[in-house]
Amino acid sequence: MGATTYLFSALMPDDAREIERGLRQRDPDLLDRLIEQYQYRLYRYLLFLTANRETAEDLFQETWVRVLDRGHQYNGKAKFETWLFSIARHLVIDALRRRRPESLDELMDPAEGQEGRPAREFAAGEPGPAELFAQGEEGERVAAALGELPSAHREVLLLRFQEDLGLEEIAGVAAAPLSTVKSRLYRGLEQLRGLLEEPRP
Amino acid sequence: MNAMNPMKEDIHGRAKRLIAAERVEGIAASDREWLSGHLAACARCAALSASTENALRSLRTLPIRLSPTLADRARMRVSLRAGELRQERARAWALWISCSLSWVLGVGSAPLVWRACEWLGQEARLPDIVWQAGFALWWLAPVAAVAAFLAAHKRRAARMNDGMAP
Repeated sequence: MGATTYLFSALMPDDAREIERGLRQRDPDLLDRLIEQYQYRLYRYLLFLTANRETAEDLFQETWVRVLDRGHQYNGKAKFETWLFSIARHLVIDALRRRRPESLDELMDPAEGQEGRPAREFAAGEPGPAELFAQGEEGERVAAALGELPSAHREVLLLRFQEDLGLEEIAGVAAAPLSTVKSRLYRGLEQLRGLLEEPRP
Repeated sequence: MNAMNPMKEDIHGRAKRLIAAERVEGIAASDREWLSGHLAACARCAALSASTENALRSLRTLPIRLSPTLADRARMRVSLRAGELRQERARAWALWISCSLSWVLGVGSAPLVWRACEWLGQEARLPDIVWQAGFALWWLAPVAAVAAFLAAHKRRAARMNDGMAP
């Protein structure tokens, strides 16, 4: 599914100016194409942040409604996905604020020295990260390791190493200073590596 | 125990920092060259580099399960919302057209209404200020009503969009 989406994405004209014009006009065909093109990446981002399939799916739909509502605010200067992820992130924060205000701290500014603390803001009743993300033993192991990271660290790892966003773009999405983004990346990478190195039970 | 002197610790520490920095933000060519030479000579740092690369490879290749109906459900929501927005826009147009017509009629009829108010004031032996205030009220009441309506509408929209930044 992902590979197909990426292929489709590579074939599509991804002109930010064209998207800007289409969003301003609320062009339904453009929105359809954008949903198709970005569905995998947006859902993955939301899943990384929320660690909850149902919430990620709700927020996925809500994000596209917001894209429709706020399309005129996209100026075409930044990459569309950066703007899209920013919207999604704000929706996650809103959802956290409604459900568990205390867990906001972890997404906004994970406390130093709390590495390895599980971040499952929405995860009550969920089958666990392995069920959410992956198939196969290796996938389950990686998913379990990710589940142990604070969500802010998961977020920057995804944006840097799966989305290939630049550090400034990540700072824009995460609404955090560049130094914070780097610090989260270094810590997250170190934590992930450590967790994956642990002997299998 | 494999004791190391402080200089060697510094070398390994530098290698460890560069291994991460290379992936996170990139490193200078001279640092890359140094790191490459060090990794060729140090099995421990080479293993660290390999495990970092493995962790990233695992992360990059981690699949997720995407519901096949997710995009369609999103399209449906977007389509419903687009319908709502169209209705809102049509209502807003109707309101603006009504306001414009009302304003044109108001301006057009103002001299007549002024005379009517004056005649009524004289018939009722009212002070000038009273019938003039009546005229002003007649002229301003629709504007005030529309302004109040628009303000309420704006407040409602703001509540609905609360937290919708950016």
